[in-house]
Amino acid sequence: MNHQGDDTVTIELDEREDGELIGIILKAARCGDFETMARTAAEVSEMTRNWATHIPWDDLASLEGADDELARVVVDLTEMWEPAHLRNPVDPDEEYALDKNAYDFYRPAGRNLLTRTGDFYGWVQARRRTETWQYSRVLEAAPDSVAQITNDLGRRARGINFNSQDYLSFNTHPAIREAAARAMHDYGPHSAGSPMVLGNTRISDDLEAALGDLVGLDHVTLFPTGWAAGFGAVVGLVRQSDHVLIDRLAHSCLQQGARAATRNVVRYEHLNVEAVRRHLTEIRATDTRNGILVVTDGLFSVDADWPDLVTLQRVCREHDATLLVDVAHDLGAMGPGGTGVLGMQGLLGSVDIVMGAFSKTFCSNGGFVASHSPALKQYIKMFGGSHFFSNALSPVQTAVVREATRIIRSAEGDALRARLFTAIHALRDELTGRGLTCMGEPSPIVPLLIGNEKLARTANRLLFDRGVLAFMVEFPVTPTGSSRFRLQVQAGHRPEEAREAARIIEGAIADSRAYLSSAFGSAPR
Amino acid sequence: MYDAIVIGARCAGASTALLLARRGHRVLVVDRSSFPSDVISTHFLWPHGMSYLNRWGLLEQVLAVTPAHTTVEVVNDGISLTGSVPVELLREYFRDLHGDDSGVVQSCASVRRRVLDEILVGAAARAGAEVRTGFTVRELIVEDGQVVGVRGRAVDGELVEERARIVVGADGRNSFVARALALPKYDERPRCTFAYWSYWSGFDLGPPQLHRRGRLACAVVPTNFNQNMVLVWGPSEWSREFRHDVPGNYQKALDFVSPELGDVVRTKGTREERIYGTLDQSAFLRPLHGPGWVLVGDAESAKDQCTAIGMTHAFRDAELVSVALDRWLRGDTSVDEAMTAYGDRRRSQNAAAYHDYVCTLAEMRPYRHDELQLFVALRGNQQETDRFIATHADVAPVSEFFQASNLFLLNDAAKESSADHAVFEDFAETSRSYQQNLFA
Repeated sequence: MNHQGDDTVTIELDEREDGELIGIILKAARCGDFETMARTAAEVSEMTRNWATHIPWDDLASLEGADDELARVVVDLTEMWEPAHLRNPVDPDEEYALDKNAYDFYRPAGRNLLTRTGDFYGWVQARRRTETWQYSRVLEAAPDSVAQITNDLGRRARGINFNSQDYLSFNTHPAIREAAARAMHDYGPHSAGSPMVLGNTRISDDLEAALGDLVGLDHVTLFPTGWAAGFGAVVGLVRQSDHVLIDRLAHSCLQQGARAATRNVVRYEHLNVEAVRRHLTEIRATDTRNGILVVTDGLFSVDADWPDLVTLQRVCREHDATLLVDVAHDLGAMGPGGTGVLGMQGLLGSVDIVMGAFSKTFCSNGGFVASHSPALKQYIKMFGGSHFFSNALSPVQTAVVREATRIIRSAEGDALRARLFTAIHALRDELTGRGLTCMGEPSPIVPLLIGNEKLARTANRLLFDRGVLAFMVEFPVTPTGSSRFRLQVQAGHRPEEAREAARIIEGAIADSRAYLSSAFGSAPR
Repeated sequence: MYDAIVIGARCAGASTALLLARRGHRVLVVDRSSFPSDVISTHFLWPHGMSYLNRWGLLEQVLAVTPAHTTVEVVNDGISLTGSVPVELLREYFRDLHGDDSGVVQSCASVRRRVLDEILVGAAARAGAEVRTGFTVRELIVEDGQVVGVRGRAVDGELVEERARIVVGADGRNSFVARALALPKYDERPRCTFAYWSYWSGFDLGPPQLHRRGRLACAVVPTNFNQNMVLVWGPSEWSREFRHDVPGNYQKALDFVSPELGDVVRTKGTREERIYGTLDQSAFLRPLHGPGWVLVGDAESAKDQCTAIGMTHAFRDAELVSVALDRWLRGDTSVDEAMTAYGDRRRSQNAAAYHDYVCTLAEMRPYRHDELQLFVALRGNQQETDRFIATHADVAPVSEFFQASNLFLLNDAAKESSADHAVFEDFAETSRSYQQNLFA
C-alpha cells in the first residue's frame, strides 16, 4: 500500500478482496493444493495479515504433512470467512427473551391500538416460555416470612419471602386482623363513595389525626392508593407555568404527575442538593412569578438511600420553592418511634408537604398528603383528581391503617423495628461477606446490584426453584444496565433465614454467570 | 530483565509501552509487523480517543496530517441529527475513570493506522521503551504457573528469550497471548456486522456522516491523504450474498442507504485502493489478568465495529493498565490489588451496559417505530442529541440516557412529529421490505 506511485495504486486496485482470497485458500486446503494456498496468501492485504497474526500467511506451503496444524489453520480461516453464528444456531426464544428490554416496545407502530400491542406480547411470551418473566406471580396463601406462589406458567414454588412490603409483618398480627374484622362488622366492606361525598367514616377522621401526629403536620388528606396520593398532590398544586424539580429516581407516581402538570420539569441528579440549588437559582433568575415544586423520595425504593432533607428544605425556602417528600417506604419502618427519614433528620413538622403510602408498613392500600396548611388540604381535595373522583378507602382499610399506626407508635413498634433491623443486618452482612454489592443504607429495602439484565433474568429463573422469593427489578423501574434484586425484609424474618437466603442468592448468581459465561461484575462504574 | 514486555505495538500496546516508559519503567514492546503499516480497522477516534492523544502530547502530530471535526451527522431512515460530544460529559468521563479531566478535546477524526500506529510507536521509543518490530513471539515462558517472559524470533531470524515482571497482551482480537494461555471467551455475542470499505478521493463532504436504513448502514469520513473512508455494513446473515459481487454490492448498499452519497461516490469519487472487508467481529471478553500477565484492548474485549470505538477503548485500557502497573512496579501496592483496580473499571456495570448496547446494535435489525420516533423527538433538542451521541460513543453511561423518566421527558419536549418524516408514511410495509436481503 503505497501512496507515492501510480503503478502501485493500479496494482492495488486490481487485487482481489481478502474474503475471496480466503475462500480460495480454504477450497485449496480441502484439495490439499498447498501451492495454490501459498500463492493466494501472498495476495492477501497487509491489513488482514497484520490483523490475523494467528495465521501463518508466509508459511502455508509448509503445512503439508502437518495435519494438526493445517486443521487449526482451516478452523481459524473459516472463522474469518463465515460468521460463527450462522454455523451454530442458538435457541431463538431465549436469545429474544434475554436480549430485549421493555423500552424496546414503548412506541408501537400502526394506527390500530388493539393490534399494535402484538410485538410486545410476543416478547412477553418468549420470556414466559423461557421462565424469565418475573412479573405477575400469584400468592397461594397469606404471605409471611415464607410464601407459597405460582408463576404465570402455573408452576408452584415456596420460599423465603422477600417480595412483601409488609415490613413489620402486620399481615399476620392478631390486632390488625381484629381491627379489620371489627370495621367489617361495623361498616361493611364498601366505602359508599368519594371522600368528597360520603366516603369517609369516623375511622377516617381518627386516622387523619393519628397520621398528622406521626409526621408532625396537622392537615392530612387520604387517597385511595399511594400512587394516587403522589400523582394527585403534584397535579393538584402545579400548573403549566410552574416548575417541577424532581430527583431522577423519584417514584413513578411523582414523575408522571410532574409530566402531566407541566412541561417545565427538570430531573436532577439523584440526591444532589447542590444541583437543586443550581437549578433553583437558574429558574429564579428568569422566573420570579411562578411556583416551583421540588420533589424527592425519603427512602428511595430501589436504591435504599435518602437525601439530606435538612439542607434541601432550607434551599427550597431560600428560593421560594416548595418541598414534597414521599415517605412511602420509610414511615413506620425506621427512625425514632417509626417516624422514618423525617424523624431521623429531626424534621418532624418542618417539611412543607409530606406524602406517604399505606401499602408498605401500614399493611393496606392507600396514601396520604400532609402539611401545616388547612387551605392546601382543601385545595388538593378539590383539584387532585385522584382524591375527588375515586371512591374513598374502605372502612376495613382505614381501620387497619389506624391500628397499624397505633402499634407503630407503641413500645411493640420499637421491638418490631429492632427485630426488623436485626434481620436487615444479617442479610446485608451475609451478602456483602460473599462479595456481592448491597446498595444504599441499612433499611427494609436491600437492593442487591446485578447490573446486566440477562444475568438478573437468569438468576431470577434459578431462584424460583431454590427457595427464595426475590423480586428482580429492571427497566423501566431502574435505568437500563443496572438491574437488581430488591429484597424487602420483614420483622418476621429470622436472622438465620436471611443468611440462608443470601447463600442461595449467591449460588444462583454464580450459576447464572457460569451459564451465560459472563465476566462482568457488579462494580458500580 | 524488563519491568514489562508488551506484545503488540499498535493502539493498545504502543500506548501502554509509552505510558509505562514515561513513568520510568524498563519496557520492551514487540510486534510482528514493521511500521508504518495498516491493519484491519475502521480507525475512527471519538473525542475521548482524541483527548487521550492530547493528554499524552501526541494530538498535534496527528492533527498535522489528519482532518478533524467536532460534529458528526447521524441519519437514520432519513431522520438527521447533528451534534457533538459535550465537553462537560467528557470531563466527567475522565474524572470517573481516571481521576483527572485534563486535556479534554471535543474533536473526532479518522486516522489511518499506517499514520497513527507509527506515531504511537515513535512516541514509545522516544519515551525510552525498547521497540522491536518484525518480532514474532513463539512462546510464553511459564515458570511455576507464572508468565515470566517470551521466546521469539527477531527480525534478523535470531531466536531470543526475554524476561519481565509482567507480560502485557496487546495483540488484538486474535491475541497470541490469549491463545498460548488457552484463555476462555466470555459474554460472547455471535451476531455481528459484515463491513466493507475503501478509500476515495475526489470529494470533501465535511464532518463525518453515518447513515442507516433498514438493516444496512454506511459512513463517509474524511481521512488522511485527502481521501475519504467510505464504509458500508450490514447483518452478517447477508454476508454470503454480499460477497458474490463485492464492488457491485458495495455501491448498491451505498445507493440504498443514502442515494445522495451513492451518487457522490459514483460520479465524483475515485477509488484509491482495493475494497477491504471483515466478517469476523463477534463480541467477547477474555479474562483480564492472571499470574504474570494482563490483557488490554481488543485482546481483552473485542466487539463489532458498528460504533467505531475499538481504538478509543484501546487508549482507555492503556491509561488504566499503565497506572495500575505503575503503582505495583513502584511497590505502592500488590499486583493483585493493582489488577483488581483495573478489573473493576473494565468489568463495571457501565461497561456491561455498553457491551450490550454495541452487540444489540450490531444485530442490525431495522429500527422499530419507537426508535425512529425517539430520533424525531431528539431533533431540535440539541442538548439531548449531544448526550445521545455521547452515549453512543461510550462517553456517557447508557443507563443515564436510556432511563424511563428521561425518555418520557424527551417525548414531551419533542418539537417535531412523525408526520414530518417520510419513513412513517407506510411504516409497516417499509419495515417488511427491510427484512429482504438486498443482495439475494
